[in-house]
Amino acid sequence: MALAEPVLLKRIPPPPWGNVADRKLVTYSDYVATGGYESLKKSLEMPPGELVDLVKASELRGRGGAGFSAGLKWSFLPAPDGERRYLAVNADESEPGTFKDRLLIDFDPHLLIEGIAICCHACQLDTAYIYIRGEYHHQARVLEASLTEAYDNRIFGPNSQLGQINGRDVHCYVHRGAGAYICGEETGLLESLEGKRGWPRIKPPFPAVAGLFQRPTVINNVETLADLPDILSRGVDWFRSIGRASTLGENVPGSYGPKLYGVSGHVNIPGVYEEELGVPMSQLIEKHCGGMRNGKKYKAAVPGGISMGVLGTDQYDAELDFDIGRRYNVLGLGTAGVIVMDEDTDMVAVTRNIARFFSHESCGQCTPCREGSGWVYQMLCRIEQGDGKYKDLDLLDEIARSMGAMPGTTICGLADGTNWAVRTILEKFRDEFESRCTASLVQVGVPSSA
Amino acid sequence: MAWITKNAGTMQIDRREEPYLSDETRAKLEAEVIPRYATRQAATLPVLHEIQHQHNWIPYQALEEAAEFLGLSAGEVIDCATFYEEFFLHPKGRHLVQMCQSLSCELCGHEPILEKIQQKLDIMPGETTDDDRVTLMTVECLGSCGTAPALMIDGTLHENVTWEQAKRLLDDLA
Repeated sequence: MALAEPVLLKRIPPPPWGNVADRKLVTYSDYVATGGYESLKKSLEMPPGELVDLVKASELRGRGGAGFSAGLKWSFLPAPDGERRYLAVNADESEPGTFKDRLLIDFDPHLLIEGIAICCHACQLDTAYIYIRGEYHHQARVLEASLTEAYDNRIFGPNSQLGQINGRDVHCYVHRGAGAYICGEETGLLESLEGKRGWPRIKPPFPAVAGLFQRPTVINNVETLADLPDILSRGVDWFRSIGRASTLGENVPGSYGPKLYGVSGHVNIPGVYEEELGVPMSQLIEKHCGGMRNGKKYKAAVPGGISMGVLGTDQYDAELDFDIGRRYNVLGLGTAGVIVMDEDTDMVAVTRNIARFFSHESCGQCTPCREGSGWVYQMLCRIEQGDGKYKDLDLLDEIARSMGAMPGTTICGLADGTNWAVRTILEKFRDEFESRCTASLVQVGVPSSA
Repeated sequence: MAWITKNAGTMQIDRREEPYLSDETRAKLEAEVIPRYATRQAATLPVLHEIQHQHNWIPYQALEEAAEFLGLSAGEVIDCATFYEEFFLHPKGRHLVQMCQSLSCELCGHEPILEKIQQKLDIMPGETTDDDRVTLMTVECLGSCGTAPALMIDGTLHENVTWEQAKRLLDDLA
């Protein structure tokens, strides 16, 4: 079933949104006047275990990139033992192409705060930290102000609606990062919250068992938590009526619920649009974004943040759901930040830009990622300038593969992102790379178009 | 590049009598920030943010003071501070101009704007003007892909930036 009306964006006007300063924030009273915090009341009448089962039954999958079942993740937590348990909200949205969480915080922060409160009750967590990236100065201020409102209205703090959890008052704090992409990786985020460099941890132990300060911790993306109020108020059946079951087999989890798609690049009206999971990219571009910019033809697109690889020219109609990875030779749906490129785009330059990002943002902990991403970037610069050799293309492919395709060469998935991005562009647009290269021994006089 | 080690062993340390972390700031942090976390170390990022907010950058002496305040060794605080790009461990200009260079901004034409900014300020990214007025930086993704190109000046985001607008904004910087 298609999405009849916006759910996550119901309080947010359609784009263009104008400048940050001119945006009208949904305050606590606006939020309550439009049915806000009703779901929290409803959830507080339910026992925590039932709430976890409800979210599990909804098959809500994490919106931060990995697409892991949120209810299942919650159910990994051990039983409360009276000591502290934490919620870490991942608002470290740093993946190029992704700007959906920022929109939610910019306009409707109480939707997130209500989701946090519901999650705290469901998983019996007494302290929540919203880890927001350092570049989101304005959004951090918005969250601080909205949290003050929430404290004033007894959502958190002493004598709150949540009561005491683990024998403590429930608190929610904003914790600002300081410009490191890797802190969006869940264990990197925990390290950063503990006041250390954001180096991802080796798993196991998983954060559900030993996370922040070695205590049980839930880590969820902003959009995942923002889905919770509507799952509670409208029910599991409603949630599962949006989106679709997996086409890959009965045991593969489906893609249900509304999803925010951030579309940017060469389209007429870029912005964040809400659609059911599984919407074809062509529909997203034509129905919402007013088509390609300047009447150009579509050439390629990143399906969900640049680490996911690239959809080719013949994959314009790709359905954007969690199965996309297996169907279209990309890594996955990721954050659903779609970057659209038109026919004039230089794919070598695109790959160079992506490789620079990863070589810049590698945390430096694992050698294959730290060294490999730098090599890939240098080779791509050389190819872009017309100094590449044909054999460089095979070498590029080999480096990318040894960085991330084999599981276990690195601690986190950053190297996989580099691998998939470089390799899929190379596979789908190899002729463009070849036209920039020359044979290694004899100069055959291929003109460099750089 | 977060992992490049800085030349901490041979660096000159400028010291001054007056502490960077004033008693007033310490009391404020102790009351508002420290109780939020289970360990004092977890307050490292908020403390460094506060120092940078007050002094525009984080001098080495301030790192030592932060370490003493947090009950850590200086090494632990330096280890943390050097990892994050937004912490300036060298003096920067009075104003910070950050141009996003990630994919959406590149596709929407950030390069000509960046070049003109470089020409106007007569500096390259990573440098500060001679009068200490402006530091120019290129950064990865400001989360403004739908409104690219994006320019952040002193923490304020400017979206759908054109050269005319960027020029006006730069002229307004004191």
